[in-house]
Amino acid sequence: MRQYKAIFTALLTFFILLQPISAPAKTDFDFSALEKSVFEHSLDNGLKIIVLPRHDAPVVSLVTWVDVGGADDPKEYSGLAHMLEHMAFKGTVTIGSRDPEKEPALMADEDRIFERLRLERLKGRLADPEKLKNLQEQMNKAIANAYAVIEPNAFSNILQSEGGSGLNAFTSRDQTAYIISMPSNKLELWMAMESERFFEPLLREMYKEREVVAEERRMTVDNRPMGKLVEEFLSTAFKAHPYGNPLIGHMSDIQNYSREATQRFFKKYYTPSNMTIALVGDVKPETVVEMAEKYWGRIQKRPAPPRIATVEPPQQGERRLTINDRAQPAMIIGWHIPAETHDDMPALAAFADILGQGRTSRLYRRMIRDEKAAVSVSSYAGWPGSKYPSLGVIFCYPAPGKTNAECEKMIYEEIEKLQNQLLTDEDLEKVKARAMAGFIRGLNDNMGLAQQLATYQQIWGDWRKLFRELERINKVTPQDVQRVAKQYFNASNRTVSSLETIVEQASADKATATGETKK
Amino acid sequence: MINKSYQKLSSLLTIFAFLALFSASAGAVDLNSLVYPSLNQIAIPEVEEIKLDNGMRLYLLEDKTLPLIQASVRIHGGSYLDPVEKIGLAEFCGDLLRTGGTEKYSSDELDELLESIGGSAETSIDVIAGSLKLSMLSSYTELAVEVMAEILQRPVFEQAKFEQLMVAARSSVSRRNDQPSGIGDREFEKVIYGKDSPYARHTEYATLNAITRDDLKAFHQRVFRPENVQMAIWGDIDSKQIVELVKKHFAAWEKGKEPIPDFPKVDYQFDARTNYVDLPDVTQSNVYIGHIGGRLTDEDHPHRIVMNNILGVGFGSRLFKQVRSKAGLAYSVYGVFTANLSYPGTFYNYVSTKSESTVKAIRMIIDEIKRIQTDEPDAEELRLGRDRYLNTFVFNFDSKGKIIERLVYYDFFGLPKDFLNKQMEMVKTTTAADVTAAAKKYLKPEALRILVVGAANKLDEPLAALKNGEPQKIDITIPE
Repeated sequence: MRQYKAIFTALLTFFILLQPISAPAKTDFDFSALEKSVFEHSLDNGLKIIVLPRHDAPVVSLVTWVDVGGADDPKEYSGLAHMLEHMAFKGTVTIGSRDPEKEPALMADEDRIFERLRLERLKGRLADPEKLKNLQEQMNKAIANAYAVIEPNAFSNILQSEGGSGLNAFTSRDQTAYIISMPSNKLELWMAMESERFFEPLLREMYKEREVVAEERRMTVDNRPMGKLVEEFLSTAFKAHPYGNPLIGHMSDIQNYSREATQRFFKKYYTPSNMTIALVGDVKPETVVEMAEKYWGRIQKRPAPPRIATVEPPQQGERRLTINDRAQPAMIIGWHIPAETHDDMPALAAFADILGQGRTSRLYRRMIRDEKAAVSVSSYAGWPGSKYPSLGVIFCYPAPGKTNAECEKMIYEEIEKLQNQLLTDEDLEKVKARAMAGFIRGLNDNMGLAQQLATYQQIWGDWRKLFRELERINKVTPQDVQRVAKQYFNASNRTVSSLETIVEQASADKATATGETKK
Repeated sequence: MINKSYQKLSSLLTIFAFLALFSASAGAVDLNSLVYPSLNQIAIPEVEEIKLDNGMRLYLLEDKTLPLIQASVRIHGGSYLDPVEKIGLAEFCGDLLRTGGTEKYSSDELDELLESIGGSAETSIDVIAGSLKLSMLSSYTELAVEVMAEILQRPVFEQAKFEQLMVAARSSVSRRNDQPSGIGDREFEKVIYGKDSPYARHTEYATLNAITRDDLKAFHQRVFRPENVQMAIWGDIDSKQIVELVKKHFAAWEKGKEPIPDFPKVDYQFDARTNYVDLPDVTQSNVYIGHIGGRLTDEDHPHRIVMNNILGVGFGSRLFKQVRSKAGLAYSVYGVFTANLSYPGTFYNYVSTKSESTVKAIRMIIDEIKRIQTDEPDAEELRLGRDRYLNTFVFNFDSKGKIIERLVYYDFFGLPKDFLNKQMEMVKTTTAADVTAAAKKYLKPEALRILVVGAANKLDEPLAALKNGEPQKIDITIPE
């Protein structure tokens, strides 16, 4: 019995180990059925609607995807796309006011005083301190007055008390997304409210919310060593394209946002034709369309927003930077690569997978398993965005007693191997098997799927490309991977950023001097 | 009497205010006129439960939607069992179960095998339990069960992998003070449970260095016994086939010699304490305020859920309104009363705010903790507090994984199958008076433990001004 079992399992393993060579991990699952059950529709005003009905549970995941991100921030208002995301939760003309009659005048007071304060501040060292103080006091008073007539958080409260789960939003370099899941019988509430906030948003609490964003910046960038390193890295890697600007905004820009500038940004980018809504769950397409016509149809058609013309010029030589911090060492290295829609991207994704994703990757085996030089190392193709030409990046945390420099050397050696030696078909089959399993796992989750559909609609102009992604990866050959490795991953195309640990004594001296000077 | 009619008036006012919110302007939506269809039936699938002769429990749920087999295994026993001089033992064991190879598959072979088919199997052990989570294409069902058997019964803790893990563990000790929020989370647990408590203590270089491979093998031998194991498998499976496979691979597993010791009791005395970690470079403070929490089985826990929602959960909570919306002092502020089954949870309120508004924010939070004991929630707050739970109840059932994993957890602690439904019924009938009563019974604003992680000399006022006990500095220097 025992022996039989052993032989059986040995055979089984043999079979499985062989399988990747003869054929990729197989499943007879029919993706086309899923693809065919996706329904799409466009309203006259240009709003795109994507629906995937799934009736397993009486819930629906809802996504509003806006084709605007940090990369679209106006030059003097870095972080404005993110600020607007915060403001989209402040309600509408009708939702969130205790006194809709009085509110506009109180908000106008805030704006008027802030404009005077802003202009005085812009005088810099020549600003009159008395005047600043006086205006700041008036400003505080105006903010308090306006706040007195609002119903704070009314918008979120209504959705959450009606069963909204995972209410959230995020801003990336490429897009702004608003997400929530609802019990499916509350679909109409979402339709009414979500359309309302992009139909008649009211940017109330603008000046108070800037403080919240300032705290968010302190939390995620200023007081987080990796946050600082990322910001410095990106601003060095990109000299022209706005991917190099801070997503959350410079502190001085945050404090300079006005309601008028934010409103202008909203009008320009939150046009119906620049938005997609994706719904996955227990809903009927015809009901969705009917409701969308009624609620989203109210929004008027507006001209499409301008797109970014700036193209990052080819890099002419290696760029390096170092920041010093009390934290342990870390490193980010990046190489310029094209946008997601470029034909080289599947090969670049395969390259990143083999180089630095998972326990069988080259970097893991060499640096973590064998030489114990790092505790974490990973690579990724298409960061910090993917809509425009972006970066292939490696994040590395050296092991105790090892240095960034030692790790850097090993990383380049492993890249050289991929440049000099052709991969085997077997290596690539594994990448393809992982891509397929990952794809299927992604289908498990309504919210994830809704976001995927919206992403592909935005980046490719066609959600169907989601279902073509595997075909794209399956076409990659060892020659492709070698070619992209040679073409993109060379010294003159890279930016190297390191966080080096400062010794305790120096840091004690520095403690008194920092704070103000750092920003 | 006066009080009562005042209450009535104030709730009328609230209703009026609420209606005013929705009063329709031209072209705008009228939310009040919406009529919602009834919610489609929540289909709660029947989970098949089987107990093997050796005590191992198996839970199965067929779901053919996608070609995946998924598994989640819970193993009773965790780091609470670590000897004091070897803290980290359970955690190491949890990591190396999967990464340290098995009798049949070396570590490299297992990595290769799983990654070549896009499968994943990951293990870990936390304070009270171990876990194995697996996901593969269902065409590999036999392999899935076999891999689980290897990992759970026959790990070998390869020397090279042990050394690799040691490097990672030392690194994480060396990096543990890199982020202020990481410091706060770690130190506040010690402030609540005590620095040597099994529920708060953590690894040091010395405790890591004391751990040997033999210790890992012994820990595994002691804890990984069929009577401690609950295995849930769901997805594109055939129950009959799974039962056979599981029997084939697990029936011969022998029971342990003695039961694992119970979870240690928490000995907690309510008192006011103020602690701080001084980080001269930072511009923002991470603040924690609270005391010991409760258990899921406390009879009035549903009232506490509503109370907690009103105080500190989400955009509509009192803390969020006061500290974030009204004062603009924080991006992140919330309060949570956690209730476990194994040992008492924590009542904690968190805020991150700039150094110069730290004491101000702390005062606001303490005021709100006091106010929830005295000011009954108005009708709107109560509605929001209850509805937030009731209307999201359906999300307890929106994935097969959630359903089956909850069943496993409840089953271990002997909770009835309808526990969650009973809880929901009680939330439904919670009154404003219940909320106040729960706040009075469980919150102790006079005995709060406060932890500030920030730049001590940049605060708006010295912490002593809080009069919440003499501020004590916590030294976070990492012992060599």
